[in-house]
Amino acid sequence: MRALTRRKFLRASILGGLAASWFGRGAALAQDETGGSPAGFHEGISDDEILLGTSAAFSGPSRGLGIELYRGAQACFARVNERGGVGGRRIGLRLYDDGYQPVPSVQNTMELLLRDRVFALFGYVGTPTVTRVLPILKKFQEENVYMFFPFTGAQPQREPPYGEFAFNLRASYREETAGLVENFLRIGRRRIAVFYQADAYGRSGWAGVREALGARGEQIVGEATYTRGAAYGRGMGEQVEILRDAGPDAVICIGAYGACAAFLRDAIDLGLEVPIANLSFVGSENLLQLITDSVDDSERYTRYLVNSQVVPSYEDESIPVVREYAELMDRYRPEVPEPLRQPDYVPFDRSFVSLEGFVNAKMLVEILGRMGDSPSRDRLEQAVFTVRDYDLGIGEMVSFSEQRRQGMQRLYYTVVDRGRFVPLDDWRARFG
Amino acid sequence: MKLNMNVQKLFRRPLFGIFLLFGIIAVSTSWVCIATVDSQLSEEYESNSRGIAQTIADASVDIILNRDLSALQSLIDQFLEIQGISYIYIVNEDGEFLAHTFVPGIPGEILASDPANIDTVERVLAGADSYVEVGSPILAGVAGSVHIGMDKSVITLKIQQAVGRQMYLISSIFLVGIVAAIMLMNLAARPVEHLLTYAVQLARAEQEGGPVPGALLERDDEAGQLARLLLYFSRVADPEKAGALARPEAS
Repeated sequence: MRALTRRKFLRASILGGLAASWFGRGAALAQDETGGSPAGFHEGISDDEILLGTSAAFSGPSRGLGIELYRGAQACFARVNERGGVGGRRIGLRLYDDGYQPVPSVQNTMELLLRDRVFALFGYVGTPTVTRVLPILKKFQEENVYMFFPFTGAQPQREPPYGEFAFNLRASYREETAGLVENFLRIGRRRIAVFYQADAYGRSGWAGVREALGARGEQIVGEATYTRGAAYGRGMGEQVEILRDAGPDAVICIGAYGACAAFLRDAIDLGLEVPIANLSFVGSENLLQLITDSVDDSERYTRYLVNSQVVPSYEDESIPVVREYAELMDRYRPEVPEPLRQPDYVPFDRSFVSLEGFVNAKMLVEILGRMGDSPSRDRLEQAVFTVRDYDLGIGEMVSFSEQRRQGMQRLYYTVVDRGRFVPLDDWRARFG
Repeated sequence: MKLNMNVQKLFRRPLFGIFLLFGIIAVSTSWVCIATVDSQLSEEYESNSRGIAQTIADASVDIILNRDLSALQSLIDQFLEIQGISYIYIVNEDGEFLAHTFVPGIPGEILASDPANIDTVERVLAGADSYVEVGSPILAGVAGSVHIGMDKSVITLKIQQAVGRQMYLISSIFLVGIVAAIMLMNLAARPVEHLLTYAVQLARAEQEGGPVPGALLERDDEAGQLARLLLYFSRVADPEKAGALARPEAS
C-alpha cells in the first residue's frame, strides 16, 4: 500500500471535502419559484423581479423549521407582489433543500450565487449550515453578497470575521440562554444542565449558558448531547440518565424539535421532573405536536416545558404585526412549492417560526424599498444602515448600523397551557 | 485423460509434509504481514492524526481568543468526516472541554484522564471500541490542547483485508500445488505399480506355468532393470530355468 505523507493526507482530506461539497449533489433539490431563466438577471435584478435565494431544511427531521419559515415569509411576499412588488419588481425566491445539513447548504449556496445569480441570500435555517456558508460570502465580498435574517441566533454571523456579510433580525442564542439562566437563577434553580445538539448550534447555545452562568459564579452541572438529525422516535434515555446523575434544578435544551421532544418525553418518563427549557430555534409547535400526538397525558409532560421566543405570541393580535401576519396567512395560505412539498407534513395555521419568517420578510421588503427604483447590491448595505428606530409593528424599534447588525433583542417566554403556548409571566409561580 | 487423485500409500507422508510446509509458509507470511501492516498503518494514522491535530490547534488559536466556540465546533466537525477519526475534543488550559464530538456525553475515561497530556495513548472506552489518541498543544499549551481519537477497528479491518488477500493467494497456490503434486506423484508411482503388476504376473506364471510377460523387461529404465532382476531371482529359485536368464537380456 502506498503510504500517504501527512501533507498529502491533509491535502487529500481538504480537497476531498471540497470536491464532495461541490459534486456530491445528492441531498439538494431545487425549485425555481419564479419559473424564469437566470438569463437577463444582473446581480439577481431584472426589470420586473428581484430574485432572492434560500437554502433551508424542507426535508428530514427538522423540515418543519424550513417549511414554516418559508410560509411566513411567503405570506408577506405574496401581498407585496400582489400590490406590484418593490419599485415595480416582484420578489422571487429560489429555494433549495439542504435537509439541515452543512454540505448541501454549501452546494446550494454555490448554485444560488454562481448559476442563479440571486440578489441576496434570505431565510437560511440553522447554525451548522450558516456557519459553513459564511466563508463563501467572504469569498464573494467584492460582489456585495449579503445574507439576510438567517433563522439562527449563533454568533459567527454576528461577529468578525464574517459578521459584516450578514444581517440578523432576531435576538441571539447568547441573549436567549442568558435570559433563561437569569430567570432560573432568580427563582433559585442554580444547578443548570445542558442537553444539546452535537454541532455548532449546540455549541453556540452551550457557550451561551456557560458564559451566563460563569458571569454569576455558577457553572454547568451536567451536559449530554445528541446527533443532529435525531428524530422523535430515537430514545434519549442515555442522555436523561447522564443529566439526572448530575442532579440539575433545570435543563436547557439546544436542539431541534424532534430530539428535544424525545428528551422531554424520556426525561419525564425516567423521573427527571425539572423545568426543561428550549430556545426559539426548536420549533415550538412541532415539538408540542409530537408530544400531544404520542402520549396520553400530555399535560404531565408539558407542565415542565418553557420555551424562549424571539417574536411575540402569534395569538396576541393586539400587536400590529401579528394582526397583519394572521390576516395574510389566512388570505394566502402559503405552501411550499410542489417539488419540495412534503405530502405527510401538515403545516400550522400559525406558529412562532412562520411569524418570524413573516417579520423577516417584512423587514427585507422595507430595506429593498429604501433603494428606490434602481436597487443594486453595492447600495444594499447602506440601505440597511438607513433603518433607524423603524417601527415594524412588533413593539420594538428596529435599528441597524455598521456596529449594529442585529435588529431586535427582545425575548419572550412561553409555557404550555391547555395545549397551547401562552406567555409566561410569573416564573416563580410556575417553576419556583 | 482421467485424472487419478488417489494418492499412493508410498507418497502420503511426503504429501503431508507438503501440507505442513504450506501451513508454515501461510502462518509465517501472515504473521509478518499483520505485523508490517499494523505497524505501518498505526504509524501512518498516528502521523496523519498528529498533523490534523496540529492543524486544528493552529486554527483554534484565533477562534479561542477572539471568536465564539460554535466556530470551533464547526471546525472540528469538518475533520470528523475523515475516515478513521472517531472523536475530537479541545480543552482549555484549565482542562475545561471547549468543544467535542462525543454523543451522548464525554466518556468517564476521558474525563478522568489528564487533559494536558498530549502523548499517544491507547483507550478502551466503555461500550465502545479501542482507540489511539494523539494530542497537540494550542499556543504551546498555554491555551489548551487538541485531542484526536482514531478507531483501531479501522486498522484492524485494513489488516484483515490485507491478510485476507494474502491468504486468498496462498490458498490458491496451495490448491494448485496440491493437485500438481498428486499428479506428479502418481506419475512417479506408475512404474512401481507396473513393477508390482509384473511381479504378480511373474509369480502366477511360475506357479501355473504360463508365459512370462515381457513388456516391462524391454524397458531400459530402473523399472526394466528391477523387472529383469525379479525374473533373475525367480530363475535362480528354479535352477531348471536358470539357463533362460540370458535370453531376455539377449533380446
